[in-house]
Amino acid sequence: MRPGGHAPGRTAGTQRDQGPRRRAKRSFRMADGRRRGAAWRVGIYLVTLWAVVTVVFFLPRVMPGDPLTAIREANSPLNSEDRAILEAHYNLDQPLLTQYGLYLSGLARRDMGLTIGGGAPVGQLIWNRLPWTLLLMGTSLAVSSAIGFAAGVSAAWRRGGRVDRRLLTVMTVLHAVPEYVLATALLLLFVVRVPLFPSAGAATPFTQSYGQLYKLADVGYHLVLPATALTLGLLGTKFRLVRNTTISVLGQNYMVAARAKGVPERLLKRRHAGRNVLLPFLTVVGLQVAFAAGGSMFVETVFQYPGMASLMLPAIENLDFPLMEACFVMLAILVLTANLIVDLTYARLDPRVRTE
Amino acid sequence: MTPLDDLSVAANSSTGTRTRSLGWVGLVIIATLVVLALLAPWIRRYRPETISWDFLQGPSWRHPLGTNRIGQDLASQMIEGARSSLLVAVLAGGGTVVIGASVGLIAGWRRGWVDLVVMRVVDVFLATPRWPLLILIGLYAGRDLLVVAAVIALLFWPGPARTLRSQVLSLRRRAHLKAAVGFGAGTVHMLRRHIVPEVGLILVAQFLSAMGRAIMLEAGLAFMGIGDPSRTSWGSIMRDAGDYSGLIYSNAYLWWMVPPMLAIIFTLLALTFVGMAVEQRINPRLARHHTGRA
Amino acid sequence: MTDLHVDNLSVTYGGPAPVRAVDDVSFTVAPGECLGIMGESGSGKSTLAKALLGLVDEAEVKGAMSLGDVDLTALDEDTWRSVRWRRIALSFQSTTALNPVLRVGDQIAEPLEIHLEMKGREAARRAGELLDEVGLSAEHASRYPNELSGGQRRLALLAMALACNPEVLLLDEPTVGLDPLTRAHVLDVLGRLRGAGRTAMVVLSHDADALELLADRALVLYRGWAAETGPAPMVLGRPRSPYAWALLNARPTLASVKDLRGIRGDAPNPTDVAAGCPFSGRCTQAVAECEDGRPPLVAPLGEDGSRLVSCVRGGLVELLAARGLRKTYRSRTGLVRSESVAAVDGIDLVVREGEAVGLVGATGAGKSTLASLLVGLLSPDEGTVVFEGMELGQAGGSALKAARRRLQMLFQDPYEALSARMTIAQAVREPLDVQKLGTGAERDVLVRSTLSAARLPADDAFLARHTHELSGGQLQRVALARALVLEPKLLIADEPVSMLDPSEQAKMIQLLKHLQVERGMAMIFVSHDLSVVLRVADRVVVIDGGKVVEEATGSEILVSPRHDVTRGLLAASGRDALFERASAAYLPLGV
Repeated sequence: MRPGGHAPGRTAGTQRDQGPRRRAKRSFRMADGRRRGAAWRVGIYLVTLWAVVTVVFFLPRVMPGDPLTAIREANSPLNSEDRAILEAHYNLDQPLLTQYGLYLSGLARRDMGLTIGGGAPVGQLIWNRLPWTLLLMGTSLAVSSAIGFAAGVSAAWRRGGRVDRRLLTVMTVLHAVPEYVLATALLLLFVVRVPLFPSAGAATPFTQSYGQLYKLADVGYHLVLPATALTLGLLGTKFRLVRNTTISVLGQNYMVAARAKGVPERLLKRRHAGRNVLLPFLTVVGLQVAFAAGGSMFVETVFQYPGMASLMLPAIENLDFPLMEACFVMLAILVLTANLIVDLTYARLDPRVRTE
Repeated sequence: MTPLDDLSVAANSSTGTRTRSLGWVGLVIIATLVVLALLAPWIRRYRPETISWDFLQGPSWRHPLGTNRIGQDLASQMIEGARSSLLVAVLAGGGTVVIGASVGLIAGWRRGWVDLVVMRVVDVFLATPRWPLLILIGLYAGRDLLVVAAVIALLFWPGPARTLRSQVLSLRRRAHLKAAVGFGAGTVHMLRRHIVPEVGLILVAQFLSAMGRAIMLEAGLAFMGIGDPSRTSWGSIMRDAGDYSGLIYSNAYLWWMVPPMLAIIFTLLALTFVGMAVEQRINPRLARHHTGRA
Repeated sequence: MTDLHVDNLSVTYGGPAPVRAVDDVSFTVAPGECLGIMGESGSGKSTLAKALLGLVDEAEVKGAMSLGDVDLTALDEDTWRSVRWRRIALSFQSTTALNPVLRVGDQIAEPLEIHLEMKGREAARRAGELLDEVGLSAEHASRYPNELSGGQRRLALLAMALACNPEVLLLDEPTVGLDPLTRAHVLDVLGRLRGAGRTAMVVLSHDADALELLADRALVLYRGWAAETGPAPMVLGRPRSPYAWALLNARPTLASVKDLRGIRGDAPNPTDVAAGCPFSGRCTQAVAECEDGRPPLVAPLGEDGSRLVSCVRGGLVELLAARGLRKTYRSRTGLVRSESVAAVDGIDLVVREGEAVGLVGATGAGKSTLASLLVGLLSPDEGTVVFEGMELGQAGGSALKAARRRLQMLFQDPYEALSARMTIAQAVREPLDVQKLGTGAERDVLVRSTLSAARLPADDAFLARHTHELSGGQLQRVALARALVLEPKLLIADEPVSMLDPSEQAKMIQLLKHLQVERGMAMIFVSHDLSVVLRVADRVVVIDGGKVVEEATGSEILVSPRHDVTRGLLAASGRDALFERASAAYLPLGV
């Protein structure tokens, strides 16, 4: 199974509480099944974020190599005076813990420092690239969710039928194809063999004079292939989860009861099955955000899409500490926020989560 | 458990049979790869890194998959790639499952604060973008394939750990385990005689999926140019092909780019098939039609 | 009027091992009438209910179902949808029938909106009323299922079933798992509904008491097959099919003193579709013909056909029937004059297959004489004893010898019953030697296995012992083993425990009951001690002065004795001290 595909801790509630309960505030089931309040959950996410920041900060610094050697000495060796000046400029001469403190306090002021490579403000660079990654990830997550949910429910509804068998085959294959292979295949097919789509970039340059609508269409046009690759990469997991969940939901007594009541198929699907499938699905969508962030790095690289990958990979290569750290922290914030939103939504939708 | 009416006896046997035969297909593919990888030194006609003047040649008797831009035999490179993939699959997949299973077993068995701490760590891991982290750590820990495998194992153990833990917890609630504790069985006895046999197949399924993930990650890293530079991998073949700007102006991609792509896809598919067959053994219900309960 | 007709309905789940969940079942229910379908879990009740709603699409349905003039078997899914809940509704047993993510009120209102075209607010108001009717309150409507208790959820399911005022109401285990007060309330609601006369009710349950209270007619299901059908008081009160009898006989009542034993054997694997009678493997009166196809529904022997049983032997057969037995002893009071004393004075007694009959009376009531007459140790002055269709008085030679094998006796005093000269092995083997059954080696094997069954050691050392080396309790068990070694159909135990101390007595009673049920024997248990008889007997016959004065189940004897002699025996057993004051408050029990 892929990183995003693990069955979540909050799977379809097979556990049911006995006995009457009074209405109570929201709470959350943790990975170990414990229930905690929302504040606890937010706390967990903050601790996670701190852990990521810390790892990302210390890891490159305790490894061999330093950015000044990697970047500035690539062309000509630095003399010791220049080197000292630069080290002081980037606080590299300070003890590690002091650097860490300075970095944390910078983050708290939303100041992510300057790149070592060009001395540009990191925040500015990220601000230029992040929207493209968000666009790519957002589109892919939305489209794959919509298709995965609809296809999964339909396949399960006619279980064992022709549609189900075909979808299952296609999705199983898709599940086994990594994004970068998908992306490369799409590139070969629709850029090389049949040149339908642009091979690189997110928008055609020098189009300022054209109208907004044109620009929008142009961005969409550039988005098609990368988004398709990432969407297909995310689809298999979702489809399989939705299909299996729906099948187990369809076997539940309440579905038989709903049919016995003469509920029309449309409402059976939407009101009775849909909401019960939606809950575990939501969790997987949340977990997939982390997976999509990784996949999007690959896809962006293949299509030379100007997202975070184009910042992060060179930064890693060059040991550009501030830029690299900022990229990771931004991705972590993105993923954690998405998960937090999922958790909060989950608690709203599932009456079983509300307890003492 | 359930009365007659509720038995899901209306099984769709054809689905079950199909899954089983797909499982065998997967096993055959994997076995072929293993044989190729083990016998590589005797099968290949060129060392994969040997440069020759025969560059950018199409498939021929001398070079079944042609050659690349610097005249390396692509067939030999593909076999070498299989060796890399399988090595990382076994090491990283095994490492993931060993770490994950041990942690999961201990957390599920000891419960209490051990469990609490472990599951918090798992929560942290699951909410972290691990792919970029893998690139970062892999880059700094060294690009050696063994290091990559180790880093994969260190990053991806929480998945199996959580699965194992919930299995152990549910096993603990079963009467025969309670009974065994009741007549004084110790932890070692319990784990060996009762827990491990019960979760054996689940471990196999976890191992298969961890292997697939490791192959995918290793080839991905190599494709991004941050793999082990001393080794040929399916990912690095893809990267070399992609870096050649003339690729798209000829048919070279057919024997240069497509074979590693297909190799990755079929290996992962094979692992998926075997995994599906194992899952069906674990949970036969998935292969059956449901019958509603009332 | 719209009757629900079901004719020869079969439901088979396909797959590699098909399961016939409902097997050729027929019944009719009219409005205002209540049919009770009794069966254990796995009997096919739930499948039957789902079939009546057209919800078994993964199974093959054969036979006819119709509601009024609508042929239910011919409906397509759309038409079914208009029948479901509007005309036939089901009150589900399992609370998992409530969707966990929808409010209870919305789920009750749903059929109102679909079938009665009520608008949101009106439907919600009606849902509140329905909750009110079943004993919940309208405020429960806004709760989610997990916020209700198990009992409350069951009531909500009932309210949901009542929503559209259906013509046919199916109730799947309406009382199971409810606390006594809620159960009484549910029964009350259902009783009123039946009284209103508009609804045809089908109650599927294993709660025989609830069925007795609600049902007009009853149908007993075993493995999807109708074992017995007829008026509820007859079927549930005096069942005549082997299965229904065994099932009802195993149920506890408040006044059960009897050692309850389940039906012997285990239910067959659902995938084993029997060619013959599905119950034959566990039935005490199975014969070779039971395997020849499904038995048809017939009136039991000696009845007019108001009820039907499915049994090739015509329902429970009489294993032993004594008619008009009379035995008079003459005692000389002078040289010429003699006085005749009727020890047994016109007794009729019937023992059915598998039944344990307790024969109780004071010393001198004629019990032992009766027992001797029944086994043929004495011959009656008048009357006949028929055992397995053969009149013992008329039989002779090999036929009588064969009959003796199947009719064994256990005596009060094991020291007298067993020869002091014989070893245990010889004593237990003696009947086999007499009957010349099997080879010597086979006899030895049988001796050992029977001793084990009687919870005695079966090693060589024990076999070589003599009677004086054993305790009274062990010796009585040796005597029991000797009686059982021939595998009799009827065991007549004459005061078998009265010589034993209390602990040995308890062991012996349990052992006797256990072996009686597991070996499928009938038993006549003769004792003067009512407290012992009540532990063992399915039916108690009270004898006084050579006559039967009362005959009833143990519970009835205990709770509502009718004859003075019975009351006297009860008083002697210390029953009054327990029941005197309490009885006024609790009578009648078992209702």
